[in-house]
This record gives sequence, structure tokens and C-alpha cells, in this order.
Amino acid sequence: MTGVCIIAEFRNGAFRQVSFEIASEGRRLADALGEPLTAIVLGDGVTAEAATLGQYGVKKVYLIDQPELKDYLAEIHVPVLAEILRSVQPKVVLSAASANGKDLSARLAARLGAGLAQDCTELLIENGALKAKRPVYAGKTYAWCAWTNGSYPQMASCRPNVMACSLIDASKSASVETPAITLPAVVKSRIVKVEASETKVDLAEAQVIVSGGRGMKDPKNFALLEELAQLLGGAVGASRPAVDAGWRPHADQVGQTGKVVTPTLYIACGISGAIQHLAGMGSSKFIVAINKDPEAPIFSKADYGVVEDLFQFIPAFIKEVKKLKAACG
Amino acid sequence: MEIIVLLKQVPDTETVIKIGEDGKSIATSSIKWVINPYDEYAVEAALRLKDSQGANVTILSLGPQRMVESIRAALAMGADKGVLVDDPAAEGSDALGKARVLAAALKQIPHDLIFCGHRAVDDDENQVGIMVAELLDIPHLGLAVTIEMADGLIKISRPIEGAKVQLESPMPALITLGGAHAIWQPRYASLPGIMKAKKKPLEVKKLADLELSPEQVGAAAAKIMVVSLKMPVPRQSGLMISGDTAAKAKELVRLLHEEANVI
Amino acid sequence: MQPGYFPANIIFALIFFAALGFFSFTVYKLYRILRLGQPEDRFDQIGRRLRGVATFVFGQRRVIQEPAGWGHFLIFWGFIIITIGSLETFGVGLYHGFAYWKVIGKPLTAILYLLQDLLCAGVVLALVVSLYRRFVLRPERLRFSDQKAANLDACIIISLILLLVACLFGARGAEYRLTQLEPGRYFPSAAFISVAVSGLFARLSEASLVVWYSFFWWIHTLVILGFLVYVPFSKHLHILGAIPNVFFRRFRPIGELSKMDLEDESVETYGVSKIEEFTWKQLLDLCACTECGRCSENCPAALTGKPLSPKEMIHNLKKHLLAKGKLLTDAKINPEGCAATELKKALAGEVCLTDEIWSCTTCGNCMEHCPVFIEHIPKLVDMRRYLVLMESNFSLEVQTVLRNWETNSNPWGLAFASRGDWAKGLDVQTLAENPEVEYLLYVGCTGSFDTRAKKVTAAMVKLLKQAGVSFGILGAEERCCGETARRLGNEYLFQSMATELTELINGHGVKKIITTCPHCYNTLKNEYPQFGGNWEVLHHSELLHQLLNEGKLKPRRRLDKQITFHDSCYLGRYNNIYEEPREILRSIPGLRLKEMERCRNKSFCCGAGGGRMWMEETLGGGIKRSMRLAPTKRWPKTLRLSESAVHTVPPCSRTASRRRTKKRR
Repeated sequence: MTGVCIIAEFRNGAFRQVSFEIASEGRRLADALGEPLTAIVLGDGVTAEAATLGQYGVKKVYLIDQPELKDYLAEIHVPVLAEILRSVQPKVVLSAASANGKDLSARLAARLGAGLAQDCTELLIENGALKAKRPVYAGKTYAWCAWTNGSYPQMASCRPNVMACSLIDASKSASVETPAITLPAVVKSRIVKVEASETKVDLAEAQVIVSGGRGMKDPKNFALLEELAQLLGGAVGASRPAVDAGWRPHADQVGQTGKVVTPTLYIACGISGAIQHLAGMGSSKFIVAINKDPEAPIFSKADYGVVEDLFQFIPAFIKEVKKLKAACG
Repeated sequence: MEIIVLLKQVPDTETVIKIGEDGKSIATSSIKWVINPYDEYAVEAALRLKDSQGANVTILSLGPQRMVESIRAALAMGADKGVLVDDPAAEGSDALGKARVLAAALKQIPHDLIFCGHRAVDDDENQVGIMVAELLDIPHLGLAVTIEMADGLIKISRPIEGAKVQLESPMPALITLGGAHAIWQPRYASLPGIMKAKKKPLEVKKLADLELSPEQVGAAAAKIMVVSLKMPVPRQSGLMISGDTAAKAKELVRLLHEEANVI
Repeated sequence: MQPGYFPANIIFALIFFAALGFFSFTVYKLYRILRLGQPEDRFDQIGRRLRGVATFVFGQRRVIQEPAGWGHFLIFWGFIIITIGSLETFGVGLYHGFAYWKVIGKPLTAILYLLQDLLCAGVVLALVVSLYRRFVLRPERLRFSDQKAANLDACIIISLILLLVACLFGARGAEYRLTQLEPGRYFPSAAFISVAVSGLFARLSEASLVVWYSFFWWIHTLVILGFLVYVPFSKHLHILGAIPNVFFRRFRPIGELSKMDLEDESVETYGVSKIEEFTWKQLLDLCACTECGRCSENCPAALTGKPLSPKEMIHNLKKHLLAKGKLLTDAKINPEGCAATELKKALAGEVCLTDEIWSCTTCGNCMEHCPVFIEHIPKLVDMRRYLVLMESNFSLEVQTVLRNWETNSNPWGLAFASRGDWAKGLDVQTLAENPEVEYLLYVGCTGSFDTRAKKVTAAMVKLLKQAGVSFGILGAEERCCGETARRLGNEYLFQSMATELTELINGHGVKKIITTCPHCYNTLKNEYPQFGGNWEVLHHSELLHQLLNEGKLKPRRRLDKQITFHDSCYLGRYNNIYEEPREILRSIPGLRLKEMERCRNKSFCCGAGGGRMWMEETLGGGIKRSMRLAPTKRWPKTLRLSESAVHTVPPCSRTASRRRTKKRR
């Protein structure tokens, strides 16, 4: 058992951003262990891009490039990954905690009889073994997990947008190898359709919600929130006064009598925070409140509060978010 | 058609979490136990299929006696019978251990479909359901937000980043559920349902009944374990960000990215 | 065809007994329909019931609360007098020689005839006024969905009565003249109107007079008998139904809803889904309705365009009862096999729309002002119970709030462990810490969690301490009283909450409770005895009033303000607390108390009761918005709010504060 291996996510002809993040994290862990870093990529048309992982410190990439691997299907991808991992025999396996990543990691862990920590936000090596930090109880607490002695591989899926991605050397290329593995012959399930989403995210499903209240003053101003929501990949919500005033449809109302939402991030703009509204979003993992009034009750519920005119603050905030997105690859 | 729903009981999401004395589990004193929301959606999805196609819905749980209350609640919604595996030897299992117990129990129950939440909102392990599918060697379709059945195939749609994927599979298959309350709208049990639930069969099994040996499950067999729980950076009274507009914006982005890890 | 002579008297007797027989048969059929209802014991306190009939039927007490009610007073007493007179008329019809003066003497007869004259004239006047009101003034409460039918019914009745009275005077006029001509007849000249009418017959011969007299007599008699036959088929069924309905009226407080037996495992259906599942008294209600519209006139749902109008609801239930009842009591029909749609109609859903049922705020205006004591709210709650317990048929918002009560014992679903947090820093002891206190201050959900209401709780704590009152709180142990769950129809949830809370409170040995919320107050006082909770329950205004009188509290500062008090439904109409809050306000120096037009038992509901607080208002206009309107044609007597309003109920104050903020903007 040696080395760190990452399972990179490749879709629509390119690596997804998170692949570089886990590559960088893999590099850091490999350095701490003093062991090599490899990667596995399954997809369609991966060959051209695969070597770029070398820029992030990956020494060798195992790839299988076939049309059947274009979109993730557990019945095909997992057995192939398992076989590759059985021959590579890494100590640590990192994957992306994306929708597909978490799915494959779970099945793969069962197949390999391994311990898996999902959605990790921090990893480190302690006494030559992996330790992982991940949120539990809807993010109200964090758990540090460790693997029992001799239990390999130590599998962890990493939450996107968390691990720092560090480009080490833009000139470096990883070596590439295609293992001689045949795809499973009998596959019962199948992909019927993959549809690119419309830009609008459903409020009930959104992980990020930017919400406006009475402080928005005018329906036109919601365009600002829509921009922010789009940037963050989220949806726009509204508090009751905004809906009552006819600025937003009732379907957008967050609250006791509107929708009860549990996003990872809820940004309340110009919302005072009456109890009926809080009942609708109080279980959000993180709450940011932007309000001119320092006495607004919402501040007592918010994790981060900004007392500021939202019309000044939000454009500035959008600018900073754009900067961050540019910084990471 | 036989549908099994894997059901877990978790603390209500509004519970104020306090770390227990051992530093690696939560204090259980003022906890209201409820059905894991995603498992509740699973029950609803199963009952919808029962309503439209006709099926028997069985609830399968692994855990202590208090889970009976949640199983009865699912029976009140319309499920037909319950099975609880309650054995102290299974305590301390990691996800794989739990999946082994459930898979062993499932081998004894005829099943065409297995539904469960994609994760439990307490330990957020996010793997038990899929592991069960692997152990049973059946296909799984994960994070479903819609479920349909047609021509003997089960079809789901699931959201991935930037797209929606439709998958289908023949049975037997395991489906894990995603989505939210507003999407699934689990039914509220009627009073006759609650009354009838008291009389519906609920079996309690031990590991021995499942032909599982204790070495395969429990703390000793675990590959991974929680070594400590930590409260996050102060959340309760909120952090007021100060400075001029530009500085506040920068700081907020930094906090959300580095501390909260949400963007 | 002179009445009282052969063969007229035989013909009359036949017609009379036929009419009477038909009438009795109709009444008997109605009785059988009422018997379809479930049992209910309303036979207690007979003496008090009889006194009620005297006050409310003969005294028309509730009727005359409105000026227009005096018209009915006249008509009612006119009707009584006419009936008394009719007996003489019928007597004459059988034997021409029959006359009252021969039985009770001339002086009494003179008084009787004078009264008859006056009241009949009064009746004519009242009827003319009522025609004017119905067709010219057209007040809101006489509006009806089937306006044509209602107006037609009214016209028929009014015409019949006018005809009846006209013929009465005609007959009398002729009779008076005859008395001048024939010896042995007596007609008191005290009856001056009849005497005046007789002027019309001045120059007629005796034979002509007899003809006129007979003519008027026959028309008058046939109209009365026709009336007798027609009454059960019109809204004048209330003549039959009202008296028994008043006799059997409710003595229990309206704030006490019935306790369902949920232990009985043989029961298969909960709540009311068929008309025959109501009790016989609830069905009798439907027969007592006069269609006066006072219930709808004051109903917050009806006034803001919601599908609910109490009058229409009672009317629809009555129609359905009579139609379905007829089929069910017909021995020749087998209900299982019969295809009649009336038998299949869903009570909650078709006879009454679900939107109708959910629109009710349980404000009690309908029951407070109904002259015949119809009980609207229990019927609505019974139907809600069916919708909730049997069909789980309610909106997602209601599901949310029910789950929140189940899990965290408060409607917002906030962590139950944080319920006592409002008390931090206020130096209040819980009963667990110190059980030896006189009062339990029961805070309630709003007082524990709502930002505004928490200030009220804190103020209350301060005042109690200042007055040296010995009290404690339950703190994090406190649970929701469940009042709203019961109003929403979830009796199962309510009973489990009430049982739990009663055990908790009794476990601490509590004897007296103070609460700031009228809804909690009402349920703890009037409903918790059903679960073994027998405490002395005080609303904080009652206690503060008492403390003021005892000198334990003295207002110290002057407040120069004009203020008005909004009576909350559950304090005023439900529990008759009107004066205590006012006296407290009056005791504050500088405060000028102005009353709204709709105040006291006419106070306009804020719209949050009956669980409506937790539902979106999607139909009609906003009840909460309508609270601030100046009188308009649409809502003629809604309140005019002065600068600031004082509310006693947390939900009222919250809805009104939203209104005020809007107004400020």
C-alpha cells in the first residue's frame, strides 16, 4: 500500500474544477507521506487533457477513454475503478464530493471493503495515516475521523470549493497509462437522458439562496440578487413583504407559509427577520444578513452580519466573489 | 410488488447540538427523535407506488428500541409492516458494518425495490444505502428527485451540477432519495392510519437471526471511526463584519470561502 | 257560505283538519329527519332553559339589539296576537255563535281586540319598512347567493301576511257594522282601527255585510291555513325551529369545543362527513335559521370576500339536510342502492367547500349575534376534524405547523430546548427551582419566541415582581397549549398536547395560572378541565386590574396619548372580559380612551384565529388589511383606528403591526 490516488472528475470534454482541487490536496498529502501521487480518469475524450494533471503534482494518470464512459453510471465506472485501484494499491484515495463523486465513492468503498469519509473539508496526515474533518448534524458540528490500523485504502471525498488548488508547474505533464481493463459486459441500468439545467435553480432544491425583503424597495432591484445568485449557482427567494407587495411571485416566498428551505448558504438582503421568515430558513447551514438596520432581528440568527446599505454592499460583494472564482483556476 | 424502505431515526434538525462527555458523540438529553427527512421521502415515494401500482411496503430499521416510534409513524402513513434489527453487537458499526446488517436482513425479505434517503441528517455519512446495493449486487440509482415506474423498469431523475440525469433500471434495484420537503410532500398520517399502525406487524430481530457473525459488524469491525466532535467557529451570536464597504465585501467572501467553505 | 253555519262549517272543518293534518305530518317528517342526528344531552337546567325562552323568544332580546329588530318585535307579537285571534276565528268557523266575549267577558275582550288592532297596524308598518329595506336599502346582510329565491320567499310571506291582516280588518270592519244591526253580537268599540275600517261598509245592507264578512273571513282563514302548510317549506321554518332551538341552547362556554372519544377502538370515522353525523341539536339549528344575516354581517371572512358566509353555510346545510333526510327517512328507499346525488354528496367538499371550511377564524361573531342561538363554529370544527383526521386534507402550511407542534411544541418549529431563553437575565425562577409559588405564569409560544411578544412577557414579569406577586414559570419545560391544533380540527394532536401539559402542570401542584395570551387563556380555562386541568386561570388584564384595585400597582408616568382598545375575540366574545383592560387604560394619567365603532362584542376579528394565522390568505381581500380602513360602502362599519391601538392578543398585535408599518410607508 503506497501513495495517494485521486479519482478525477471529467465531464463535457474537460476536468471539473474540483479535480484540480483534489489533485492539489492529494499532492499535499503525498508530500506529507513522502509517497507518490497518481490519478485515475474515466471518460470520453480524456486523453488530450489527462496529462495536465501533472501541473498540480500528479505523477501518473491511469486513464480509460471510451464513449461508454462519457456520463457516469455506477454499474460501469465503479467496477473499473475498483479493478484499477486493486492493482495500484494506494494508501489514500481522494474523490470529489460532487453528486457523482459521492455516489461512486460509496459504491467503491463497499466494493473494496474500505472506510470512507464523505464531504470532507479538511484532511491531514497524522502518524502516517489520514485524518479527515467533515460536517455532521447539518453542519452544526464537525467530526474528525480516523481509519483503523491497516485498513486500506483510506477513502475520502472532498467538498468542492474548499481545498486550495495550487498549480505547481505549468510545464509539467503527468505520464499516462491505459490499463488493460474491459468494461463490464452485463449492465442492467442505463442512462436515459442527460439534460443541461436551465439557469434557474429551484428554490426548494437550491443549496444557495439569495433572498430579498422589504429593503429591496423595488422589484427592479431584484436583478442585483439574481446576478449574485447566478454567480453562486443558487436561487432567488423573497420574504413575505416582498411577495405581498407583488415584487416576487408567491412561489419565491421563504417562510412559515411559503417555502421552508434548508440551503447551505442563505443570504438575506433587506430582510428584518420576523419569526415567520426565520421559521422558513432557520435551518440553513450558514446565514448571512445584510441590512441597514443594526437592530434587525435577523442579525441574531445570522452567522455573518453586515450592517450596510445593500445597494452599496452587494455590488462590492459580487466583485469579490468574481475575484475568488477567477483565482481558483 | 415488494418495496422495502430503509428508515433511520435522527434528532430533529432544530435540536440544539451539544457535544457529549466522550467528546465524540452528542449529548442525547433534550433530543426529539424523528424520522430522517430523506427516509420520510422514501416512505412517501414507496407509498405513491403502492397507491398507483399496488405493493407491499416494509420498513426496515437498524437501531435501538426507540426506533419503534418512527417505524410506527411510517406504518401510520400507510406502510404495511416493520422490521427492526436491534442488537447491541451492531453498535459502533461504521457505514459498511451497518450496510452489512441491512443487506443480511434484506436477504431474508423478498424485495423488488429498496428505497432509502441518500443520507441521514445526523451523521451525514452519505453511503449506507449505496453500500447495501453493492452488497446485494443490485443496481442503485442515487439522489432521486422523481421516481416513476413503467414497463417493469424503475426510472428516476437526479440532479448533478449543471444538469439533470434520467436513469432507469430493471428490478430489483435500490433508490436513494434526494430532494426536499416541498418536492416530496410526505403525507400526514390520518387518525385511522395511526390507529391501524398500532396493530401492524413489527418484528424485532437480532444479528443471530440474520446469519451474521458479530466480527463482521460493530466497533471492532469498523474501518473508520469518529475520533472527536468539534463545535464550529462561534455560530450562535453571529459575527458582525466591520470596515468600509469594500473591506466588508472582501472579508465576507473570505469567511464564506475559508471558514464556512460554502463558496 | 257564512262561516259557522252548515254546510260552511263542515267544509271549514274539513279544510282545517286537512291543513292541520298536513302540517302535523310535515312536522312529524321533520322530527324524523332530526332524529337521524346523533344523541346530545341538552335537557339540563330546565328552569334556566324556560327562562331563556321567555327572554330571547318572547322578549326578543337579541333581535332588538339592532334597530331593525324592532320591526320583527312588532311582527312577532303581532303574530302571537293574530294566532290568539285565529283561535276565535276557527271557533266561529265551526259554530257561528262562538265568541271570546262569551268566555272571557267583555272588558278583557275589548283589551284583546284593541291590542290586536294596534299590533296588526304595527305589523303592516313593519312589513312596509321591511319591503323598503329589502328592495330599496338592500343592506349587506340580506344579500344571498340565490337572491331571487330569497326575495321571492320574502315577498310571498310578506304578501300573505299583508293579505291576512287586510282581510282581518276587512272582516272586522264588516263585523262591527253587523254588530250595529244585529242584537246579541258584540264588537268592542275600543278597537278603533277596526271601527275606522268599518266606515268603508257604512251604507251596506245587512245581507251585503254578511257577504263581505264571509268573504274576508274565508280569505283570512284560508291564508292562515295556507301559511300553516307553507311555513315548513320556507325560511319561516324558523317559526317552528327557533323556539326549541332557544330552549336547547348552549350553556357551556363557546370556547369549549367538544372532546372526541379517541380511546374507543370501534370508532371508524372521526369528525363529520355526513349530515346525519351531526347531533340532533346541530340539525335543529338548521331549522331555526331566520336568514337574518347577522352572522354574515359581522363575519371577517364574509366581509373580505372569502367563500365563507355563515348564513349561506347554514342555508346550504339545511337544504342538504332536508333533501337527504327525506331520502333517508323514506322507508321505500334503500340508501345503498339509491343513485340520488344528494345521498352521495360529500359534506366537506361539496355541500360546504373546503375553502369555506378553512376560511373561518372562529371569532364567534356569528354565534354572539344570532338571535336564535345557532352554533356555527362547532359545525365547522367538526368538518375540519373529518378533513384533518380522516383525509389529511389540508394545505402544506397547515401540515408544516402541525409537524412543528408535534416535534417542537411550538408553531414555528424552533428548538423546544430554547423555549425558556426569553427569561435569560430577567431573574425569574422556574417551578422546578421553586415550586412554592402562588401563580404559574404560563407564557405561551408567542410570548416565548416572538420578538415583540417577548417584550410583553418581560413587561409582565416586571409588573408582577413590582406588585410582589408570587409566581414562577415553566421555562424550557413549558409546552404549547395546543389550542390552535384543536381549532384546526386535529383533535388527536390536541388531546396528546393537552394531556401532556396537564400532567406537567399538575405535577408541579399548580393551582392558579396567569397567561398573557387570550387563546391560551381560553383553552386552559375552558377546555383543560376535560383533561383534568382544574385551575383558577386569569388573563393578565384580569390580574393587573385586580392589582390596580388593590393598590399594589400604581401608574407612575403620564402618557398623553389618544388610544383605542381592540377587543380580541377570545377575550371579549369568548370570555366576556371587556372592562378590565379598559379600566387599566383609564387609570393611566393622560391617556384618552376612544372607542372604535366596532368594539366590545362587535369587535372585528384580526383574522388570525382558528389556525388562520398559519395559512396564507389567498382568497378575497385581506382581513388584516381591512382592519385599517375607514368606513366604506363595502365594509360599512369596520373600525377606524386612532393613532395607536392596544391589543391583547399576540397574533392580533402582529398582524396589526404589519398594517401600521404599511400605513407609515
